Amino acid sequence: MKTLTKDPLNLIIAGVGGQGNVVISLLIGKAFIREGYFVTIGETYGASQRSGSVMSHLRISRETEYSPFIPSGRADIILGMEPVETLRILQQFGNSDVITIANSRLIHAAGMEYPSLDKIVEAIEGLSAKSWLINATDEAVKLGDPIFANMILIGALVGSGIFPIDSKSMELVLRESFPGEKLETNMVAFNKGMELVVQ
Amino acid sequence: MSGVGIDAPGSTQLFIGNEAIARGALEAGIGLASAYPGTPSTEIMESLISVAKEKNFYAEWSINEKVALEVAAGASFAGIRAITSMKQNGVNVVFDFLANIVMSGIGAGLILVSCDDPSAISSSNEQDTRHIAKWLDIPLLEPGTFQEAKDMTKWAFDLAEELNSICMIRSVTRIAHARGNVTLGELPKKEQKAHFDSICPVVPTLPKFIPYPSAWLHSQLHAKLDKARELFESSPFNWYTGPEEAELLLITCGSCWLYSLEAVNALKLESKVGILKLGTIWPLPQKLIETHLGKSQKILMVEEIDPFLEGSIKELVADLPPDSPHPRFYGKHSGHINAYGELNPDMVIEAIAKIMGLAYQPRDPEYSKKAEEVPITYMPPRIMTFCPGCPHRAAFWAIKNALRLDGRDGFVTGDIGCYSMAIGPAGFFQERTMYCMGAGAGVANGLGKLGQFGFNQPVLAVCGDSTFFHATIPALINGIYNQSNFTLIILDNNATAMTGFQPHPGTGVTGMGETTRAVDMEALCHSLGVQVEVCDPFDLENTTATLLKALAQDGGPRVVIMRRECELVRARRDKKPLYKVHVDPDKCLGEACGCDRLCTRVFGCQGMVWDSESGKANIDETICTSCGVCADICPQGAIIREAV
Amino acid sequence: MDMKVKGSKELLTEVTDAGLCTLCGACAGGCPYLVSYKGRIVLLDSCTLSEGQCYQYCPRTYTDMDVISQRVFGTPYSGDELGTTKEVLMARSTDGHIKERAQYGGTVTTLLSLALEEGLIDGAILTKMSDDKTPSAFLARSREEMLKCAGSNYMACPVLQALNGIPKDSEQRLAVVAMPCQVLALSKMREEPPQNRVNIGNVKLVVGLFCTWALSPDGFHQFLKENLDLPQVTKFDIPPPPANIFEAYTPSGKISFPLDEIRKFVMPACACCLDMTSEFADISVGSVEGIEGWNTVIIRTDVGAQLIEMAKEKGKLEVDILPPENLAHLKEASLLKKKRALQEIITRSGDRNNLLYVGLQQSIIDRLLA
Repeated sequence: MKTLTKDPLNLIIAGVGGQGNVVISLLIGKAFIREGYFVTIGETYGASQRSGSVMSHLRISRETEYSPFIPSGRADIILGMEPVETLRILQQFGNSDVITIANSRLIHAAGMEYPSLDKIVEAIEGLSAKSWLINATDEAVKLGDPIFANMILIGALVGSGIFPIDSKSMELVLRESFPGEKLETNMVAFNKGMELVVQ
Repeated sequence: MSGVGIDAPGSTQLFIGNEAIARGALEAGIGLASAYPGTPSTEIMESLISVAKEKNFYAEWSINEKVALEVAAGASFAGIRAITSMKQNGVNVVFDFLANIVMSGIGAGLILVSCDDPSAISSSNEQDTRHIAKWLDIPLLEPGTFQEAKDMTKWAFDLAEELNSICMIRSVTRIAHARGNVTLGELPKKEQKAHFDSICPVVPTLPKFIPYPSAWLHSQLHAKLDKARELFESSPFNWYTGPEEAELLLITCGSCWLYSLEAVNALKLESKVGILKLGTIWPLPQKLIETHLGKSQKILMVEEIDPFLEGSIKELVADLPPDSPHPRFYGKHSGHINAYGELNPDMVIEAIAKIMGLAYQPRDPEYSKKAEEVPITYMPPRIMTFCPGCPHRAAFWAIKNALRLDGRDGFVTGDIGCYSMAIGPAGFFQERTMYCMGAGAGVANGLGKLGQFGFNQPVLAVCGDSTFFHATIPALINGIYNQSNFTLIILDNNATAMTGFQPHPGTGVTGMGETTRAVDMEALCHSLGVQVEVCDPFDLENTTATLLKALAQDGGPRVVIMRRECELVRARRDKKPLYKVHVDPDKCLGEACGCDRLCTRVFGCQGMVWDSESGKANIDETICTSCGVCADICPQGAIIREAV
Repeated sequence: MDMKVKGSKELLTEVTDAGLCTLCGACAGGCPYLVSYKGRIVLLDSCTLSEGQCYQYCPRTYTDMDVISQRVFGTPYSGDELGTTKEVLMARSTDGHIKERAQYGGTVTTLLSLALEEGLIDGAILTKMSDDKTPSAFLARSREEMLKCAGSNYMACPVLQALNGIPKDSEQRLAVVAMPCQVLALSKMREEPPQNRVNIGNVKLVVGLFCTWALSPDGFHQFLKENLDLPQVTKFDIPPPPANIFEAYTPSGKISFPLDEIRKFVMPACACCLDMTSEFADISVGSVEGIEGWNTVIIRTDVGAQLIEMAKEKGKLEVDILPPENLAHLKEASLLKKKRALQEIITRSGDRNNLLYVGLQQSIIDRLLA
């Protein structure tokens, strides 16, 4: 078992309502609970779930429970499910040590001009101490459903080595969470995510 | 599926506050749970109802909050513990019954959970329910952690029975919808037997469950509160952390406890700042508070929404003997903490830093500068909108077109539900009034009687199907009785969609999944003698025509039911799209069309995107649900809808 | 009004709200925003384009008559009473069936029917009355369908909306039977063809009708509904002066209304119209005052001349010279319309140098105002 590099460890999952950030945060949270950590998760619920900007704040500690809000400028890891949302979170919660893993596939904001993806990526890299941008959605579509992008991102998070949960622990959580056939594809997606950050 | 029913005492689960409350109710041995869904309270009932059969108790989605509490009271009167949960607005709906039942007392433990929504993230209003407990003399608890949400709920039943009074629990969004560690307790195994015994122990000739004689009962109620205060003085839900003598004392409750702790920690003030965390909110544990008031000359009140503790504690201080300490209070009245909206650790940090004269820098200033230099255009806002495939988008498209064609400056009055988003671009700005459940039809009643003042704008009231049953029927009957000139549109998507697709009396399924007799809203309207038209909002042309016909009528109200199942519900069940939809790039004329991007600029479904490279429309197949409605709005016929 | 092409917002302020809209339908259905409904042009959503075809082809936005005339006839606008003509004559159908249904001499239905038979067109955009006498644009593809559209009810109808609804890739060749304002809109489209799906190239024949004014389809229809059992009405007519009445033919006889009662419903825009005889059509057709059962026919273009020639050859039309006193009277009436319209325009604009939509050479203006 790895130990926390920092206590509490502050992780933000940023995305667009409907992408499934609640599921990701729950799976990650469960992995820590299994290992006896205190976990607090704050979610965006309600109307923003309908295609608005959403984020999950995860606080992980050996010592005590923390509030469901990470203070501004205090994120340690940002897991971005969408580039613009990743940047939005970095701008408010990032700092000189923040590490970013993000899906590079954009989701248009209804009625808005989407900015140049290259510039967004450049800004994300500029605000991260270390960053991985991966096209998780395209890989997921290859697996049959864009929703697998979430599992690819979890795989990338575990595979990046910045995260105090190893693949075995995560696999146990996935086994608990997905019945039968679903488990298999989710495991494929998870492993794909691990590979993508190793490359 | 929620894990609230797990029979593993001592194990630690990752529960949202709502699940923790549900678990607490299970550990208290409830026999009945009732609720009307409302964010952020919904998952309490969702969790309970999912295990009701297995745990051998009864749970229901009720028609509205007032009925829900009456249902729960029925169980309590017959000796069965019961819980009812609602969002803050629900407490307003239930207020009348609540103000009565508090007078009479209860049978078995009866708990009302109100989940307040600071910042009104998913509500029509922002409201602090704690006042209602104080106003009506109801004992009130508020959890500050997820573990406490469970433990407090369990204890609340014992408390209610000991006091012979309904008790309330107030939760807020960041407890209700945040997740944290909860260590489970035992689930009771005993059999329960219901029996209604109505003999009043004091006046045997009177029934027990009446709020009469009221004035005498009111005095008894005050005695109950005195007893509660006594119990609260030693409650484990109140505690102090910090130095014996503090430069600053924070008094806090609920979600603000963790914010306060984090703020003190971030400012490294653990040795200088103390925190009194209260869990028993009404009546306040007077002696405990008096003891701690002596700890510091400066008190900062940290609580969400109104200055409830702040006002109530100042009342206590006013009654103290002249030689008692009179510290200086900071909080909402002083402007250090907002008297509106959610709080968060940053806001508490700022308030403490201001009082203590400290500077706080969360991150390297260089980094801050770089972050602030990111152009705002890199982060376009995402407006609230309907889901892709939502029937409401089509419904409001037809409403908009019908009102424009009609040309008399008609408008929509509405209420709260997914369709509330029609106040903005999602529904083409059509909904012009939006208040509580059923208010669209109620307000339309008044507007529809203004003919004598030269008012000739057509009035369309909208409500959802669940809202129709909850609060619209009386307004419709009033309109028929008083012959008010309006059209009621029922947006029937066969679910309480906003809160997560709960069934309602029109769906033919109970909360516990049993098939039941569906209340036929058309037949109901027909029986009231009102004209009813039914149309499918996905058929834009027919829906517009139906509306134009309704708009052309005068006299009393008429009803148009726009019936189309919520696409999320349909897709979950059918597991396949309705159509295959794509843009034919040869047909789409793009910028040359003259359509001025109707599909992405005006219709605005997120599944439709404007590809700036090709200058043409495109469909994001990862977002689009293939409802196919956009095929009918493209003037060029470039959006192709094919059968699956 | 300046010459610049603008967008839908300006169309509404400068034309619709200014009482200049003739309900021709040129702007309706060409984009998803503008439609006609019950006698009004309605903007369904705001359009952000600063230049639109709606504005460009509107016959009541600035129109340079010389440019249009050059495009149609190859000559500048003459300003003559009847516009540019090849020949003015009178005609009537030889087909008893057509004559029975016809308003006057059945010439229009005969010409369209012939063009269809000869394969010159695939259909014609016409005005059709519903059972309750609501006019709407209709694409007739057979002789039978054309016959059903015979007769007038004197109400404005956005006929060109139907043209806008035809797909760009359509290969259909069409005739359009149009009022003078609609003929002008079609000519503006021909001068600078639309960029989008609307295809003016499909229009092979424009038959213009004579028009003194049109009635508001909303208000007048309401009036008719209140006074008549509309499905029973077989024909409407305004007999020549000095009758001064509007007649409805019903199975129980003619019902007449004083014309002054009807004039209340004239579209306000018609008072600003200078064109009585559809001056830019291929052929213009109207009644012949005092000679029942005949049409006045003005042949203006080669397309028009060829069709009339063919109709004569095939014995579909009986043609005669228009008596000189009728011709003189027609010219007089046409000139009067021009003069009155110009006066009205100046009254509205409040400025002799601002003729709103009318782009005419000064010499012609001076002649008309003399």
